Amino acid sequence: MSLVLANTPIDLVTEGLGLTGAWAWFVVAVIHTILIGLFFGIPAGVFIWAERKVSGRIQDRLGPTRVGGRFGWLQSAADGAKLIQKEDLVPKDADSLLFRAAPYIVVVASFAAFMFLPFGDGWSAVSTDVGLFLMFAMLSLEVIGVILAGYCSGSKWALFGAMREAAQMISYEIPMAICALIPIIIVGSLNLNEIVRFQSGEGGFPSLTLLNWNIFHPIAAPAFILYFVCATASCKRAPFDLAEAESELVAGFLTEYSGMRWSFFFLAEYASMFAVSAIAAILFLGGWDDGVGIVSGLRSSGHEYSASAIGAVILIAKASKLVLVQIWVRWTLPRLRIDQVMTTCLKYLIPMACALFLAAATYPLVLNRANHGRTDLRSPIGDRVPMRAVEASEAHAVLAAPDSTELAAADGEVTQ
Amino acid sequence: MSDLVLHFVLFGLAGTVLVMLPLLLGRLVRPTNHTPEKDAIYECGEPTIGSSYVQFDLRFYTVALLFIVFDVEVAFFFPWATLYGGATQLADSQLSDSARIELTDKVLNLAPGTADAATAISAETATTLSWVGFADILVFFGVLLVGFAYVWKRGDLNWVRSVGAQRAPHSGRTAE
Repeated sequence: MSLVLANTPIDLVTEGLGLTGAWAWFVVAVIHTILIGLFFGIPAGVFIWAERKVSGRIQDRLGPTRVGGRFGWLQSAADGAKLIQKEDLVPKDADSLLFRAAPYIVVVASFAAFMFLPFGDGWSAVSTDVGLFLMFAMLSLEVIGVILAGYCSGSKWALFGAMREAAQMISYEIPMAICALIPIIIVGSLNLNEIVRFQSGEGGFPSLTLLNWNIFHPIAAPAFILYFVCATASCKRAPFDLAEAESELVAGFLTEYSGMRWSFFFLAEYASMFAVSAIAAILFLGGWDDGVGIVSGLRSSGHEYSASAIGAVILIAKASKLVLVQIWVRWTLPRLRIDQVMTTCLKYLIPMACALFLAAATYPLVLNRANHGRTDLRSPIGDRVPMRAVEASEAHAVLAAPDSTELAAADGEVTQ
Repeated sequence: MSDLVLHFVLFGLAGTVLVMLPLLLGRLVRPTNHTPEKDAIYECGEPTIGSSYVQFDLRFYTVALLFIVFDVEVAFFFPWATLYGGATQLADSQLSDSARIELTDKVLNLAPGTADAATAISAETATTLSWVGFADILVFFGVLLVGFAYVWKRGDLNWVRSVGAQRAPHSGRTAE
C-alpha cells in the first residue's frame, strides 16, 4: 500500500516538519483527505453549473448568465449561499433521526469512493490490490442513504421513489460489475494504478500508446458502452431517473427534503457521476495516458512529477467528457417506464454482459490457437507497463512507518 | 492495512464535517418559523390519508433475491479474473523474459524478485493454466446461467404480469 498522492512533495513536507513514524502517516492521510475533498467538491459544483448550462443550450435557452460575470460560472456557489439560509424542515411524520442521517450516508459513501481513484501514476490516496472492488463497494453504499431517505420521510411519494431506486440499483449493478470484469480479465489486476499502466506503454512522444487502451480490444469496446449505460442507471440519471421522476412521483425520495440537506443529495449524485466516469476512463480509455506517449515519455526521462500532473489533467478531462455525455443524454432521451427499466436490465443487459464475459474469457485462448501462441493482436499486454522497476520504495524510506516491514512488502507489490 | 483503515476513518470524518458544517452555519442565519402546514408531509396539497409505512409489492422482493444470487457470484469472479488475466498474459509466446519473471511473481503471489529465468512460468504451462481456469469458470458460470434461465422461464423477470394469464386456468370465473 503506498501513500503517494504527489509522492515526493509529501515526503518532503513530513521530513521538513521533522515528523516520523505514525505522525508522518497521519499528516499524509490528512493531506490526502483535503486534496481528495477538493477533487470531490469542485468537480461536483462545476458539473451542477454545466448541467444547467448544457440543458439551457439543448432547450434553446441561455441558462445562468449573471452570477460571476460571463457564463454565470459562480451559479453553484450562489445556490449554496442561498440554500444555507433556507429554513430547516423535518416533517412531523418522518423519522427525525434517520431523516437527518441519510444525507451523511450518501455523501460519506460517494466521498470514500474517491479514496481509490488514481489521478496520475501513483497519485491516489490509497493504492490497494483490491482498489476497483472497494470502489464499487463504496459507490453502492450510496444507495442505502437514498433508500433510507425515501423510507423514513413518512411520505408515500418518497417511499415509492426509494423502492424503485432499490430495485433499479441492485439490478443494474449486476451487468455493471460483469462489464467491469472484462478489463480485469484483459489486464489481470484489480489495482486501478496497474490497470492504467497496462494500457500505457513504453517510449517517448511519437509512439501510439493509444492502441493499448482497452477500448481498442474487440471485446472490451462493446463492454464499455454497456458499462456506461449501467453506470448512468446506477447514478439514477435520466433516462433511468425513476427514483425522482418529477412528473410522476413529485420528486421521489427527495420529496420531503429541502434546503441544504436536499442539496447534499445532488452533491453526492454529481460526485458519483464523476466517480463512475473516472472508472470508465481508467478501465477502458487508458486513464491518465494521453495515447501518443507524452506522459510515458516524460516519465521515462525522469520527469515523474510533471508526468503525473499532466496525467491528472488528462484523467479529469476524460472523466468530465463522460459526465458531459451523461448530461447530454439526460436532456435528450425521455424517461423510461419502471417496467421498461427493469426489462432492459434483466432481459437485455444481463444476457449481453454474460455473453461478453464469456467472449472475453474465450478470446485469448482462441487467439492463442490461431495466432502462433499470441494471446493478443497488439503487443503482449505484460510488456506494456512502462518503467518496470519504479524506484518508489526509495522515496518511502523517509517514512519509518509503524509497521514498516509489512508496508515495505506491500509497497513492492504495488510498484512492481 | 492500518493505512487503509486510517484513510477510511479520516474520509468518513471529512465527509461528515462536509455535511455538518453548512448545516451548523445555516443554524445561525436561517429563520425558524414552523407551522402545522409546513411540518406536514406533501401529498399533492390534500390532507394525508394513512401512514406511509405500507405493504409493498412482492416483485421488489423477487428482484432482491435475484440480486443476491447474481451479485454474490459476480464477487467471486473478481479473484478469478485477476489470475486468469495474468495466466493469459504469460501464455503469450512473445512476452519478454523480464516481464515473464515479474508476472510469475504476481500470478504465484510471491514477493517481487523471487522468480528468476529458470523458475518463470513458460508459455506452454501458462496456456495449460489458462485452459484449466477457463474450464473452472465455465462450470461456475454454467450453474449461474442455469439458474438464470430457470428464473426467466418461470416468469420472475417479467415486471408486468398479466393477471388474466394467471387466471386463465380457471377461466370460468372471469367470464362474468
